[in-house]
Amino acid sequence: MTNEKVDVVIVGAGASGSVYASVLARAGKKVVLLDNGPDWQLQDLISSEIWGRRIKPAGAPVLLEGKHPMGYTSQAGWGVGGAALHYFANFPRYLPTDFRIKSEHNRAHDWPISYNDLAPFYDKVAAEIGVSGDARQEEKWRPAGKPYPMPPMKTFPNGEVWLKAAEANGIHFVPAAVGMTSVEWKGRSACLYDGWCHQGCPIGALANPVVTYLQDARKAKAEVRPFSTVTRVLTNPAGTRVTGVEYYDYNKQKQFQPASVVILAAWSAQNPRILLNSATDKHPKGLANKNGLVGKFMMTHHIAGTWALFDEDITPHMGTIGAQFMSYDRYAKTSYPNAFGSTFIVAGAAMKTGDYAAARGDLFGPELAEFMKRAARGLTRITFFGEGLPRMENRVELAQDKDEFGMPMAKLIHSFDDDALALWNANFDQGVKVAKATGAKEVWPGKGPVVPTTHLHGGAIMGTSAANSVVNSFGQTHEIPNLWMAGPCTFPSEGASNPTYTIFAVSQRGAEHLASKWKTVST
Amino acid sequence: MAEIQRRAFVKGAALGAFAFTVGGSTVMLTPARARAENVPFRLLNRAEADAIEAVGDTLVPGARAAGIAHFIDQQTACPPEEALLALRIANGRPPYINFYRVALKAIDGASSKAFGKTFAALAAADQRSVVDAMRTNKAEAWQGPPGPFVYNIFRSDAVDVVYGTMEGYEALGVPYMPHIAPDKRW
Repeated sequence: MTNEKVDVVIVGAGASGSVYASVLARAGKKVVLLDNGPDWQLQDLISSEIWGRRIKPAGAPVLLEGKHPMGYTSQAGWGVGGAALHYFANFPRYLPTDFRIKSEHNRAHDWPISYNDLAPFYDKVAAEIGVSGDARQEEKWRPAGKPYPMPPMKTFPNGEVWLKAAEANGIHFVPAAVGMTSVEWKGRSACLYDGWCHQGCPIGALANPVVTYLQDARKAKAEVRPFSTVTRVLTNPAGTRVTGVEYYDYNKQKQFQPASVVILAAWSAQNPRILLNSATDKHPKGLANKNGLVGKFMMTHHIAGTWALFDEDITPHMGTIGAQFMSYDRYAKTSYPNAFGSTFIVAGAAMKTGDYAAARGDLFGPELAEFMKRAARGLTRITFFGEGLPRMENRVELAQDKDEFGMPMAKLIHSFDDDALALWNANFDQGVKVAKATGAKEVWPGKGPVVPTTHLHGGAIMGTSAANSVVNSFGQTHEIPNLWMAGPCTFPSEGASNPTYTIFAVSQRGAEHLASKWKTVST
Repeated sequence: MAEIQRRAFVKGAALGAFAFTVGGSTVMLTPARARAENVPFRLLNRAEADAIEAVGDTLVPGARAAGIAHFIDQQTACPPEEALLALRIANGRPPYINFYRVALKAIDGASSKAFGKTFAALAAADQRSVVDAMRTNKAEAWQGPPGPFVYNIFRSDAVDVVYGTMEGYEALGVPYMPHIAPDKRW
């Protein structure tokens, strides 16, 4: 079935897709958002670790390979709002060094834009959706910008116990910048600090797309179509323009949605999958893939979490799932000898009972039961997010296995290099030192045979030309002017900061550019 | 249409329990209640249920009474996109019942090799020994998904039914503080 042609079809109603929808719909464009999952509403977001899994990935899994497979499922999303429906909302910016890693260290590649190009959009996003924090304090590490619209969040003993210990180890913590409401703001309630963020926040304190960009987009008449699984982007016979997308609706009927512009804003593993599955005689390797770079340079952060257990009641359950405090004091790429890459540090996340159990995965039986009682009073964690450099061999490919629509599944192959592993180990050493300095009764690194990962980037990276990238700095593909990519798939390197604030900022920049160049792009 | 479907999809959550079939009718029960009322299993046979309960109780005391077997049975019988299992978050591939069946066979195989009996028939100390071997990937005659992975999934299921509920929080003295409270236990 062919639908009425629209100006823009956006594939994926998560962080980046919602920004594009908001900006373009408010610019008067007719926008349709297609998402493969349900149209979640705030009242669906039940406070339960078990029920919270409903908003996590469903359907065909991504097949994981490599020495260090990317464990994506708890952090990715399913349905309208995407992963941003339940994200941690830590809002650290990327730092200027992240954009110049080639220039400064002769490693990987530079971004085609600088921090200064993005800075106004960080400020704009903060004003648009609300950030709580103390910008002045974090400007110790970055150029000055506008103050955040809300003061920092409240803190609790499970975060405060880290402050002196970190300082003694040369790590200065400041209030974490978070996409949450520390006070009532724009009609949204102030956070209650009960830690039910990762299950989705039904009071709108968490800046998820449902209460921010998607709400704006809907007000501007953007249409959201849930349960719509896109399998291909179609082109004209010459292969010079895309004409729309093929998708399967709730009833598993094939539909065609024509559009003047197509924006792929699914997820970093899904966007390349769709491009690769859209191969034609004019694009035999997939769309925007003449250079073979689609699906390449997949990156993920490694996590080094160190635990501390106190006898005292430090209220482990209080706060938010994000962080109370953050530090860039190990962000310099050469912070540790014999390792390379940035590290971003946070402390003071609220925990649920599942987190207590996960803290000592080796325990079972009566020993686990005893530990759970102690953890409920005295458990806390310091977390180091570490950078992995972009590597061509870390990639998304189409697998032989197919999903229910006959579309090849995505295969995500990922291995860390020696630099990343050295950084991961150094971060554990650092974490244990800090944890011991807290005076906790017990301290242990959360280290096992599997390298924990979070945040997927790459697959359609931005650059200066088709020789080194898939898209330009705005997300427009080099090969097909009305085909755009959105989200962390376009990041050419990943820094160590939680990426969603940067996803919003990059998307805002791209969407405004697209709106301003609409005639050129759409015709 | 989408709105109607969405509402149907979240029916279980709104009621706060899971749909079990009793006497040909669908009723909403917690797994513990379903076990107490001896609700028939949809997919598991009695031996599989006994094995799940034994593994669950070895991993997390109280998992048997909390209805771990009924939880897994109900969750593997529902459409995979509605499943709330830890296996979904561990990138398991539907149908999820296949994983549990293969995993139980592996556990029983290792139990038989070490002690000459199925896992459910072992003494508690021997059950601990098998679980520890599974956890450390040292179980002999193990045939199935990696032992540590099986350990983690069953352990997560057991943690869910014992500690992931409102009662579980209460037992640990942790304030549940829900925004939208799951009815009854979750």
